[in-house]
Amino acid sequence: MSNLARRGATVAAALSIVSCFSDNPVVPPTDSPPLAVLGLGVVAERYTGEVWVRGSVAYTTTWGSRESPGNAIKIWDVAGDIPNLVNTVIVPSASTLGDIQTSDDGQLLIVATEFASGSIMIYRLSDPVNPQLISRYTTPLTSPGVHTAEVQRVNGTLYAFLSVDPGIGSAARLVIVDLSDPAVPTQVFTAVMGSPFVHDVFVRDGILITALWDDGMTIWDIGGAGSGGSVSNPVALGNVVTVGGAVHNVWWYHNAISGDNRYAFVGEEGPGATGASASGDIHVVDVSNFAAPREVAFFHLPGAGTHNFSVDETRGILYAAYYNGGVRAIDITGDLSSCAAAHKAPDGRCDLASMGRELAHGPGDEHPVYIWGVLLSSGRVYASDMLNGLWKLAEVSIPPG
Amino acid sequence: MLLPVAARAQSVHYGPAHIEFGAQAIGVGTRESPAIHGRVLTEGYLTQPMVMAMASFWNNAVELKGALDFEGVTLKRGELNAGIHGEGYIDRRHPHTYLHELVVSAQRKFGDNGASLALGKGFAPFGTDDPMARPFEKYPINHHLAQVLERAVAVASARTRRVILEAGLFNGDEPESPGDVPNRKRYWDSWSSRVTLIPFPQGELQTSFALVRSPENATGGGVDHHKQSASIRLEDAQHSGYGLLEWARTTNYAGSSRTFAFTSLLAETWARYGRASGAFRFERTERPDEDRLVDEFRSPLPATDLSINGRSQWTIITALLAATFQPLETLTLEPFAEVARIRFRPTLSPSGFDPTQFYGSNRIWSVSVGAKLALGMSHMRMGRYGVASTEKRVMKMRSKEMDDMHMHGATGSAPY
Repeated sequence: MSNLARRGATVAAALSIVSCFSDNPVVPPTDSPPLAVLGLGVVAERYTGEVWVRGSVAYTTTWGSRESPGNAIKIWDVAGDIPNLVNTVIVPSASTLGDIQTSDDGQLLIVATEFASGSIMIYRLSDPVNPQLISRYTTPLTSPGVHTAEVQRVNGTLYAFLSVDPGIGSAARLVIVDLSDPAVPTQVFTAVMGSPFVHDVFVRDGILITALWDDGMTIWDIGGAGSGGSVSNPVALGNVVTVGGAVHNVWWYHNAISGDNRYAFVGEEGPGATGASASGDIHVVDVSNFAAPREVAFFHLPGAGTHNFSVDETRGILYAAYYNGGVRAIDITGDLSSCAAAHKAPDGRCDLASMGRELAHGPGDEHPVYIWGVLLSSGRVYASDMLNGLWKLAEVSIPPG
Repeated sequence: MLLPVAARAQSVHYGPAHIEFGAQAIGVGTRESPAIHGRVLTEGYLTQPMVMAMASFWNNAVELKGALDFEGVTLKRGELNAGIHGEGYIDRRHPHTYLHELVVSAQRKFGDNGASLALGKGFAPFGTDDPMARPFEKYPINHHLAQVLERAVAVASARTRRVILEAGLFNGDEPESPGDVPNRKRYWDSWSSRVTLIPFPQGELQTSFALVRSPENATGGGVDHHKQSASIRLEDAQHSGYGLLEWARTTNYAGSSRTFAFTSLLAETWARYGRASGAFRFERTERPDEDRLVDEFRSPLPATDLSINGRSQWTIITALLAATFQPLETLTLEPFAEVARIRFRPTLSPSGFDPTQFYGSNRIWSVSVGAKLALGMSHMRMGRYGVASTEKRVMKMRSKEMDDMHMHGATGSAPY
């Protein structure tokens, strides 16, 4: 028996040694100037999700499970520097809320809900700080959850573009809903897409761009490209799989000064752990030929990964939520596809970080942040921080270019 | 599973065939304090209801093993099991699939050596014995780190007196519901291998590796799991006790990029003294913390992206006392009581999941009282086929009439 014990002890010691483990996290760099912090509206009992701002009112969603579940819409007065919480709306039968957005006329507030029967909540904003529920749109095709809901007007009609999660026995899909009568939303299109997810879309000028994860980004004509497409019958024009896949979100940039609309910015959402780490680059895609989009540049931030964007199209600044890396303001003026050899990756793409295009960053130098969304509104940058709440920041003071 | 002893097998001989049957179920009440958000929950279950059969033909040249599991009917909401996760359940153990195991194997022996092929739905050659075939009623929370089961498997095995080699192909996707079947498009996209050393009687060391493609996203595209396992198992010569020391690690990969790893260290022992038996288990396991549905004991399946909310480390100490009664020759009744003390802490900081905040305490107590009823053939050690089986047609048998059916040179012959 003592022989057995000795052998057992030896194996136990060996197993204990190999069980040691370190994640060795990388701290994102803070070399660029800080974005000036104006104020923070604290949310402590829930994790904060997306942000939307209209005028002096900001809306944030909540996510996941903290002391309380992520089923609340937080409404803020942001007229001052410090966001002031003025109302909280609880969404029943939801464990997580994703996107939140007002309609372009400010009449409606649309919120995406997840798990287990997904939906969009449609509120009337007669009083911007007291949303009144008009309807909840949920069908078997919105199950198990609506991850994002992009609200855009196409040819005068208001639509919501729902990116629906995959579920047990159901693939991810896009559902487009006509919101002309918000009391009775009507589905006008649906299709399975994304591998394995469709996480977001971007709609502009009759063009729909879908973020299809490992299937890349696909450009569709929904009435703006003259290919016979419409909202109810999108026609695929082209596709590109950016390096690394995991295509999560897109912003098709229109330079407000020059009118140039050559580039789309793609957010790659790599693996991460909420609060602690994130991964994934920004990919720049030349979409001047819809039939043959191609990646020409990228931005990599060591130790962090990107999420949602907001673009100052007049000044040419991309504000990117970068989770544990805070917000990164990136100069996107000029030709992003051309750079000196020293700034090129081996595959020929230009490395925007190496070119020194990061203009500013923040918040997060003082204590940890995990920035989900960012929105530029009236010269202020609003950043939703999953850990802390809603930040109000000054925009970049340094002119790009 | 609780360890049945002392009953004759329900077996028949028919020509070249030897067929055995068995059935079992556990009635149990569990009180968890707190279970969630500071709330105490007390629930009752009919758990692990199973019908098992094994048929061997032509002196074991061909074997068929099957097990039906009815947890899909009796355990739809899952069973309170603090810290466990998998297949869309969290802090409740998921029900297994109705067709738990159906594997046919063919083997050829050459003295102490042998080779076999197995095909069907069952266990990939990886890790340690299935928890259902071990003493405790509550599962260790490393179940998804330490076993790969309910897959379409093809396993080749070879053995000598002291060494067993196994290699298998299987589908990577985990079951999504009790009625789910392996996704045909995923057949053979994953593999595993296991080496078992039997250096001395009643000793068994195994190490194994598995590459499991996108287990949590049935259509593919999820993170891959690179799984490692090593264990030592010692058993006394009378088969009235054993000890198991196990290490397991699953490392997630998104493509070629390593993301997170989850490590488990487990030690357990079981001993029987007459009708009484007792068991003790120490487990320290890391788990991914995932999104939750409105029913906070459920998580979305598949996940909506490749991220996790956090990673928590769970330390669980479990003790079991049981007694065995045999009212009929083929019927075993085992009342038991099981107590677990559970502690946890986040291992990533900051974290999108603070367990102390979520559970409303930094410690959970779980108390379970119940009884297992077993008829005929009992659970064997589960997870090996053909010549890789470290026991041979272990049935319920009187504790004093063992060994006559044990494979020469094999170990681990306690009746499970």
